[in-house]
Amino acid sequence: MEYLAGTIILIALFVILASSYNLIIGYGGLNTVAHPIFFALGAYTSALLGIHAGLPMAVCILAGIAVAVLVSVLLAVTTLRISGDYLLIASLGFQLGLLQLINNMEFTGGPAGLSAVPNTFVGQGRGTIYVVICTLAAIAVVWAIWRTMNGPFGRAVRAMRDDELACAALGRGLISIKILIFAMGCGAAGLAGGLYAYYFQYISPEQFQVAQSAQILTMVVLGGIGTTMGPIVGALVLVALPQAINFLQLPNSLVGTVQGLIFTTLVILFLFLRPGGLVGHTGSQSSHGAAH
Amino acid sequence: MEPILRIDNLCKSFGGIVVADHIDLTISAGEILGLIGPNGAGKTSLFNLISGVVPQDAGKIQLQGRDIAGMSLHNRARAGVARTWQHMRLFRTMTVLENLMMGPRDYPGESLLGSVLGLGRVRRAETAAHAQAMGILERMGLAQTAETIVVDLPFGQQKLIGLARALMNDGRLLLLDEPMAGVEGSNYETMQRVVHDEAAAGRAVCVVEHNVGFIKDLCTTAVFMAQGKILQRGTVDELTRSRELTELYFGTAEDAA
Ligand SMILES: Nc1ncnc2c1ncn2[C@@H]1O[C@H](COP(=O)(O)OP(=O)(O)O)[C@@H](O)[C@H]1O
Ligand SMILES: [Mg+2]
Repeated sequence: MEYLAGTIILIALFVILASSYNLIIGYGGLNTVAHPIFFALGAYTSALLGIHAGLPMAVCILAGIAVAVLVSVLLAVTTLRISGDYLLIASLGFQLGLLQLINNMEFTGGPAGLSAVPNTFVGQGRGTIYVVICTLAAIAVVWAIWRTMNGPFGRAVRAMRDDELACAALGRGLISIKILIFAMGCGAAGLAGGLYAYYFQYISPEQFQVAQSAQILTMVVLGGIGTTMGPIVGALVLVALPQAINFLQLPNSLVGTVQGLIFTTLVILFLFLRPGGLVGHTGSQSSHGAAH
Repeated sequence: MEPILRIDNLCKSFGGIVVADHIDLTISAGEILGLIGPNGAGKTSLFNLISGVVPQDAGKIQLQGRDIAGMSLHNRARAGVARTWQHMRLFRTMTVLENLMMGPRDYPGESLLGSVLGLGRVRRAETAAHAQAMGILERMGLAQTAETIVVDLPFGQQKLIGLARALMNDGRLLLLDEPMAGVEGSNYETMQRVVHDEAAAGRAVCVVEHNVGFIKDLCTTAVFMAQGKILQRGTVDELTRSRELTELYFGTAEDAA
């Protein structure tokens, strides 16, 4: 039971991460690799507040979101004014640098991480409660992104992607649109981080490596970039698949190889057969199908 | 007539190419001013300078008495500079209606919270923009195209949509970059009628056109531009009669046509 709950919670959290990453890179066209570090900012902020300040879980998680949003706005404001390309480089530096800092600070627990995150719910129903909370959070994030992209803000985002110059010449402030998208996406990553810290009660720097953005990107691309459902399907497949492989009870030495093979094959197959992803239109480059 | 746009001593060069050479220009409410001159004269560049696509090297740009020269592209649009593009630049994945609805000067939907929660102010602005867009499309006889993806329309209608989107900006200055090029038949007449109506309603309109025939159909006065300089201002007839300009431009243009 607890194992199943853990899997569902992971899926829900990766739905949040993949959907918000899709918002930033798929809809916003903003290239960043720093998504794991905003996940970490949410996790560390809420864990530290929970451990040292003894505040309620909801308050700690909200604080985690706030920190992620604040930091993302600072990063976006300083880089986007220079150029969009600058964000990619800055996000890489920021991801590597901040994680290194977390790795070397005492109050973050260094490489060993934090393992004393308070337990809010005890007893039999703990897993179920977190399944409900995380699923609701995932639904809320997906709904908010869907609403955003189908409202006047989303229309401006699509116009911006079609033609930045024409969009700005109609009076739309592109920088502020980009900053808002980035902040919303990073705030969602912070939410996922807070929930992660509270459920698993253990966080360490190696859970937030830059390679994780490749994993999340794979979910987005596999499911269908620039669509609402794509990241959900992608997260589901890519979290559930390794668990299924575990069930095969392969010898430990083989598991890594088999997983690597399957993922690589999947990605390559998709690039050729369904470039729009599982839910995107076949053959379309970056599908706008779900955005209409 | 009330002056809407006033340019003093505007200068701009790209490396060695001078696209604006001490330009002085005033356009008044109700006026449709033609801007003619050979390819590369700096006509589009002048529009880019006025609307804020490129910064000027020197000079003043005033819109209704307000200095806009230091303002960003999007703030100039909000101040009331509406323009079209020589190559249309429509939002190609969006419908005609969506293209138009990007155009109002005031767009409260740019706020994330309002967009997610559908706040009252955003909803009202959306309703108003929708009505305004449909009104413009009806004036052009294009209401039935509202839900069509814009690039699926014939070329002439796309040109009209380019104008329609600019008209969503209810500011007083309207800059049209080759609006008639490639437009024929009923679309041509619609373009002509709508531009005349907008001027009659009090906008100051400036039209870049290559073809002198179009300028004659659209404009009362015109300026002739070459190598970043305004060489002459007068009625369209005066300009076409000028021997010097005819040699510089019209003769070759009419030979080509
Ligand atoms: N952004 C730019 N950078 C460099 N050169 C430019 C730029 N915009 C225009 N030019 C040059 O300025 C000259 C005038 O161009 P343009 O204003 O488009 O002419 P027109 O619209 O009268 O045909 C051309 O030689 C063009 O190549
Ligand atoms: Mg031109």
